[in-house]
Amino acid sequence: MATAITTAIGMIPDPKLDRSHSTGVETVSATALYRLMTWLSPAYPVGAFSYSSGLEWAVESGDVNDAASLCDWLDTMLTMGSTWADAVLFANAHRAVDEGDDDLLRRATELAAALVSSKERLLETTAQGRAFIDASRNAWPCAAIDRFAAVWDGAVAYPVAVAVTAAGHGIALAPALNAYLAAAIANLVSAGVRLIPLGQSDGQRVIAALAAAVETADGRAMATSLDDIGTCALRADMASMRHETQYTRLFRS
Amino acid sequence: MPAGLAIEKRTFAANRANGVVALEVAQRAGATRRLRVGESGSLRLRFPGHAGPDLEAVAINTAGGIAGGDRFTFDVTVGEAASLTLTSVSAEKVYRALDDEAAVAVTLKVGPRGRLSWLPRETILFDGARLARTIDVDLADDASLLLVESVMFGRRDMGEAVTTGRLADRWRLRRAGRLIYAESLLLDGDMAARLNRRAVASGGVAMATLLMTPMDDGFVNALRAAEGLRGETGVSSFNGLSVARFVAADGESLRHDLTVALRLALAGPLPRLWLN
Repeated sequence: MATAITTAIGMIPDPKLDRSHSTGVETVSATALYRLMTWLSPAYPVGAFSYSSGLEWAVESGDVNDAASLCDWLDTMLTMGSTWADAVLFANAHRAVDEGDDDLLRRATELAAALVSSKERLLETTAQGRAFIDASRNAWPCAAIDRFAAVWDGAVAYPVAVAVTAAGHGIALAPALNAYLAAAIANLVSAGVRLIPLGQSDGQRVIAALAAAVETADGRAMATSLDDIGTCALRADMASMRHETQYTRLFRS
Repeated sequence: MPAGLAIEKRTFAANRANGVVALEVAQRAGATRRLRVGESGSLRLRFPGHAGPDLEAVAINTAGGIAGGDRFTFDVTVGEAASLTLTSVSAEKVYRALDDEAAVAVTLKVGPRGRLSWLPRETILFDGARLARTIDVDLADDASLLLVESVMFGRRDMGEAVTTGRLADRWRLRRAGRLIYAESLLLDGDMAARLNRRAVASGGVAMATLLMTPMDDGFVNALRAAEGLRGETGVSSFNGLSVARFVAADGESLRHDLTVALRLALAGPLPRLWLN
């Protein structure tokens, strides 16, 4: 093995849930890193760049107008909004595949497609989920993706699609979830940079400022059941509703 | 714990309320009739209207509020082609929990071509209140539902702020067995600080959610075009239902906006108890 990247994962409340992280440090193989960086790159054909999760409306309304307000808005989404819900759905779907628990996988997938606040949020998560499964079945086939089709024939939310594929390739939950959330934050910051607009270095500072919150969300999500997801980012949800009638739009959500 | 306090807590626990309402209605000769009315503990039902296609039921909590450790259950079944409107006589106040959280479990079933309007008055959480609520809805394929739930965190006009407490509100809505809507609201810790965040409520202390199925784009468009709303509103249709959310600076503004939305949603008169 040429290289190994060591990532510190902070605040894992219950190490019993996943023994491989009991030291709080996860070693990611070059093989796993290659896959995660490919799947969660903006170049992977899911069209992530065309969704803003309602951020476009938040900029239009003036709620988000600089780096600080962008950082606060995204921190709220990550700790108590739709990004947090995605993290818990991801963790549960990954665990379900890891443990061969089809019932948990079905419940996580069903919930992920119903725990949405608006038409565009539903489109955002299920269109990317479908595209991710299709692209991965072609280029990165694995038994878990084939098996998933037998377990569930409805809409698939994006975090579930990525979690099933990562678990199917034997990539541990902690690095996979961290990579998923990092990509989600980078995508939203990229939208913010274009919309507000912000300089590229301001955007990068926001991503850096949210790194600790992402690690905290990783740990909490791994210890949270589907019944205990819990969100309260009401105005972020309403922003994705109001985006539907926004007059000038760059984004599909 | 000092002995006196332990006794006081036990006495308090023994006095905590349990309430169950179990109501089943059915359609007979064009009118909706009560098939089964079960009441226990501090919950009561009244039926103030005349017999007709739609039956109006009003829930009353004789305990005068909800405290920590209380358990309330609503179990409502609307039979084939029956129509029920259920509201409550007054706002439900949730008081500071000393120990256990309060629990409210709502189960609603609506049969083929049945219709349910679940329109309770608002829930008011006082500082330190802890409430866990579940709402499970099971709809037949062609059943109709209008559901409104509103929550106020303290009463701002009376100088009450909520800085501690917990509200966990878990909704699951199924149509023909398929999950079409889920909500998993959680507000805890320093509630006021959370509500102050821009992506949460930007300082608003009153919020509501309205669900309507089948979805109704006429309602969605009318609410989007409504003038004179005092708080913020978002509305959208997906998965066969329409969802509206409301956030307002205070309870009175929320109530005003909800009244506007309900008139549009009902396309008819409001339940009388919504007018006072």
